[in-house]
Amino acid sequence: MSSDPEKMMSKADKMTKLTLTRWSADWRGATELYEQAANGFRASSKYEKAKVALEKASKGQEMQSSPWDAAKHMESAAALAQKLSIWNEVADFYRKASELYVECGRAQPASDALGKAARALEEVKPEDAIQLYTDACEILEEDGRDQMAFDLYRACASVYIKLEKFADAATFFLRLGVAADKCDATNSQCKAYLSAIIVYLYGHDLKQAEKCYNDCSQIDAFLKSDQNRTASRLLTAYNEGDIEEIKKVACSSTVNNLDHAIIKLARKLPTGDVTAVQMNAGDDLDEDDLT
Amino acid sequence: MTVINIIFRVDEICKKYDKYDVDKQRELGASGDDAFSRLFNSIDTDIESVVHKAELASTESNRAAAVALNAEVRRTKARLAEDVVKLQKLAVKKVKGLTKEERESRCDLVIALADRIQVIPDGHERQSNNEWGGASAPNKNIKFDISEEDMDDGFFQQTEESSQFRQEYEMRKKKQACKKYIHLTFFNLTTRFQINVFLQDEGLDVISEGLDALKNLARDMNEELDKQVPLMDEMETKVDGATSDLKNTNVRLKQQLVKMRSSRNFCIDIILLCVVLGIISYIYNALS
Repeated sequence: MSSDPEKMMSKADKMTKLTLTRWSADWRGATELYEQAANGFRASSKYEKAKVALEKASKGQEMQSSPWDAAKHMESAAALAQKLSIWNEVADFYRKASELYVECGRAQPASDALGKAARALEEVKPEDAIQLYTDACEILEEDGRDQMAFDLYRACASVYIKLEKFADAATFFLRLGVAADKCDATNSQCKAYLSAIIVYLYGHDLKQAEKCYNDCSQIDAFLKSDQNRTASRLLTAYNEGDIEEIKKVACSSTVNNLDHAIIKLARKLPTGDVTAVQMNAGDDLDEDDLT
Repeated sequence: MTVINIIFRVDEICKKYDKYDVDKQRELGASGDDAFSRLFNSIDTDIESVVHKAELASTESNRAAAVALNAEVRRTKARLAEDVVKLQKLAVKKVKGLTKEERESRCDLVIALADRIQVIPDGHERQSNNEWGGASAPNKNIKFDISEEDMDDGFFQQTEESSQFRQEYEMRKKKQACKKYIHLTFFNLTTRFQINVFLQDEGLDVISEGLDALKNLARDMNEELDKQVPLMDEMETKVDGATSDLKNTNVRLKQQLVKMRSSRNFCIDIILLCVVLGIISYIYNALS
């Protein structure tokens, strides 16, 4: 076996090509050569070639009916693609790896792979990242491992907040609440509901926030929690247009225990206050008109 | 003697023996709860004494005595002016139980007092004196003097009533002093108590925030551990399976090795024997 990765690559390629003399491809030998070539390329920092080698090694493993190894190789290839900033390949490779993991019947690694892809694409392609996060959550939910999905939900919601799609972010928090409910994780559930209300308020949507609050109050766990008290104080302050009270609630310890993104929104909350006060004034006028 | 003269004489007598008037002192004392009233009253009495001195000075025939009295009056006026400044500061201070109007009236009182001090004649204005002097001519002639022939035993005799009266007066004075002392100490205690309560409240707030953080941490840890429980169970099952597989494999391997070793020994024995026989036959062939 020559130590030159290029030679190994060409040799392995030959082994997989079907010719007159070769009636069946020698995948085992080829896979070994591909793996060694990939290691060689990585050592010499030729990441593009290493990536190609890993792709082929993964194909070889698949042919040998070992999806686990194939998935592992795919993940490594995707990591290299990330280094090279070839974003669509990153998404594709991670997806392929995830499918292979699902074939193995291992949901956690599958969702992990999609999570890694999403994290890599958060800055560059946020919509794709959101799709990947959603898929990852679905895989876990199908497998009944809802607890593991919390972090993914939170990450997805923060991406929505960055994109300023507050309604979607709030929806995701509510989905997190549902998942938490299934696992009896009351603390996470209540925090998720409070986060959703804050996101609605930041999006200047007082009515939605109140509706959300009313819905969440139906749930016992939320009703008895500190987060419920904080939410009611916040909504009362908004209805009265009391800026000082809103600021006080936003700096309270209950809000400080939420995600960083939500804390930032909460600290900025009174910027949407002017509309709240105006809405109050509008309401008064309406009442006067009716009477 | 005219009625006016009698009235003036009676006023003078009353003024001299005012300190024995319990009701009036009580009235004055009641308003003496805060520093303002006390200072005001003291300045008031000082002004009256100064006015009296000024009057004496103006009617004094002896020039030197008049000059000395005027100097005294001027000195006292200066001191009173300083006190009035202090009084003004006290007037502006917020006192418990005092309404805004009362505070404003106090400021007015201070201004009036200052004017009164200014008006006191100290030997510089002679014209305005004459007007005043004419109206109260009978006043100035009222002197409390004691002639020798009156100084007999019966003159200063104290009756039972008067001695009782004096004793009562002294008792009341002592009681009033006691009450004032008690009020002061009580006020100090309440202020200190309020300060302590305020400090405690602040400390409790800090503790409450710390407890909130702890509670949140504890609940998150609880949830995390709940998440880990099924994973640990799965791991346990898998590891149990792996352990049993390993045990089986070990047993079989041992058995195999034992078997192999005995058969191997046997084979080695045979091979060595064959080798030895081969060597012997070779030597035998070589010799023969």
